[in-house]
Amino acid sequence: MPLSVGNQRTQITLLLTALVAVSLVSLLIGAGSVGPLRALAVLGGSQDSDASFVVWQLRAPRTLIGIIVGMALGVAGALLQAVSRNPLAEPGLLGVSAGAAFAVALTLVMGASAATMRISVAQLGALLGCICVLSVTRVRGLGSDPVRLVLAGAAFSGLLGSLTSLMLLFDQRAADEIRFWVIGSLAGRRLDDVVAMLPSMLVAAVAVVFIARPLAALALGERAASGLGHHPGLIRWLVVACVALLVGAATAIAGPIAFVGLVVPFAARALAGPDIRRTLWFCLPIGPLMVLMADIIARVAVAPSELPIGVLTALCGAPVLVAVVRARRLPTL
Amino acid sequence: MRAVTLRNGIIGLLLSGCLVSAAQARTLDTAYGEVDVTGTPERVVTLYEGALDASLAAGVTPLGAVTTRGGDNVAEYVEAHLGDERPAIMGVVREINIEAVLEQRPDLILAPARLTEEQYQLLSRIAPTVVPPTQPIAPDNWKAEARLYGNALNRQDALEDAISAVDQRAAELASALDAAGVGGTAFVVRWMPGGPMVMSKNLFTAGLVAQVGLTVEDAGLVGERGVHSDILSLENLSQVDGDWLFLATLNEDGQEALASAKQSSAFTRLDVVQREQVVPVNGQLWTSANGPLAALAILDDIEAALLP
Repeated sequence: MPLSVGNQRTQITLLLTALVAVSLVSLLIGAGSVGPLRALAVLGGSQDSDASFVVWQLRAPRTLIGIIVGMALGVAGALLQAVSRNPLAEPGLLGVSAGAAFAVALTLVMGASAATMRISVAQLGALLGCICVLSVTRVRGLGSDPVRLVLAGAAFSGLLGSLTSLMLLFDQRAADEIRFWVIGSLAGRRLDDVVAMLPSMLVAAVAVVFIARPLAALALGERAASGLGHHPGLIRWLVVACVALLVGAATAIAGPIAFVGLVVPFAARALAGPDIRRTLWFCLPIGPLMVLMADIIARVAVAPSELPIGVLTALCGAPVLVAVVRARRLPTL
Repeated sequence: MRAVTLRNGIIGLLLSGCLVSAAQARTLDTAYGEVDVTGTPERVVTLYEGALDASLAAGVTPLGAVTTRGGDNVAEYVEAHLGDERPAIMGVVREINIEAVLEQRPDLILAPARLTEEQYQLLSRIAPTVVPPTQPIAPDNWKAEARLYGNALNRQDALEDAISAVDQRAAELASALDAAGVGGTAFVVRWMPGGPMVMSKNLFTAGLVAQVGLTVEDAGLVGERGVHSDILSLENLSQVDGDWLFLATLNEDGQEALASAKQSSAFTRLDVVQREQVVPVNGQLWTSANGPLAALAILDDIEAALLP
């Protein structure tokens, strides 16, 4: 049962507190020799140059990127699930991320490597992936079965994945860079990368504010939404564009990270109830929480090396997927 | 069709085996037991970069060879030792194209130490297949392997000469570096887009760097049996901050590796980078190849970079 509005305020406050705490932990813990105490001293203004480099140049950017990527993927998942009325619609599972990854791999093979260019390319790939996915949901008889949509998405992801591998075979020179990037990671990113993705994040945020209400109306059915003065077709296109902007930018900067868009809206709905507007608010702290916690574990699990973050989000996300599918009655959205 | 070719090949080998006098038969100790080779093989296929190197050092250009790791042809340093006849590509070392081997109708196959039993069974039906016994990773393994290949080729003396040429050149370079006051610790690192992999100090390349007087380290990051570490977290880059850093990537030349590493601020703040003692090297040569010719090429690289 969703909580009452007063309780939800408390929940949001608790989640935000947890997010601040996890962000702090993310600055304090890493794969290297700079331990929590030294890092804490840096935050307190110590002059330890090695430690302050690690905290401000290595950990701070990835923390910031983790927060933004988490928000983007969580919100994109909630939007995609609302518009496809399918609780399993997840950018990573349905091939939106794979579309973005494929587009980036293609440009890398063609010789590009500028970060700003990569973001728009990834967004274009995500947009195409999104359109493919949603046109699948319009196919008669398929849209009503959430699991079959996921199967179609898996097939689509598999196709794009094999095309990406094919490019690796043709171009050994780009292979290393693509392989690294296809795994997904927050390490080694710089603040420039964050700046490059901010504009699309802002555009998407503004758009989400405007489409949240019509999207909630759409949940009542197309006729009801039209009766309330909304245009279902237009809303759908706007949502697709938002998802593409969000997933494209997140994928361009961190590589494809699956399952965040599944787990975060799932948790958000459990707290907020079925209203998409409240779900979106809950996604904002929960997304970064999940990504940051996964990234922290990725750093310490195999120190002095690091794990790809996608491995950890999948470890946490796959059981949720199975749980949702195995639940006797899939929640309809 | 294929079976016919195979049968003809085997019959041909049997016939030639009978014709060549048995006095020239040599028995080699290989990973898969004793292998008899007769005469001086002319049609040779090498399925390992070290075998290609040894074969060229012995003056035999193989009909077929595998690609260098990460490339689609033999390593660049090999080019200088090839005449007009180029070896055909037999696949990559982990995925040998056995049909391509058969097509060359070899009379000797020189294979890597890690060749699987299944592959050995197939290849040894085509021609005598020499697989060096697996040894624990050590810098000098290549010498024993080169001698075995040389013996199989019936060109033992040529290989002995090539190996002693390497030792002599290394000794000369060591005393030149000593006279110039160059020394200290060194790391050999393969730069991946995510960060560095530290190469084991027990590898072929590390052995040569040590032979000229540097102390090769791997900061304990590579286990006894490992070839290289996992990609190191950027937070741990300071662990490879020695007096010298040999920096390679598999696919690009050394300068590109250096440029890509320099995009990372964690790299540029290393002492060894500030002192400009990073030596960009070709990863095909430094982290994939081995053998006497590769050794000479690596020693050339070291001399060019370290001698003032």
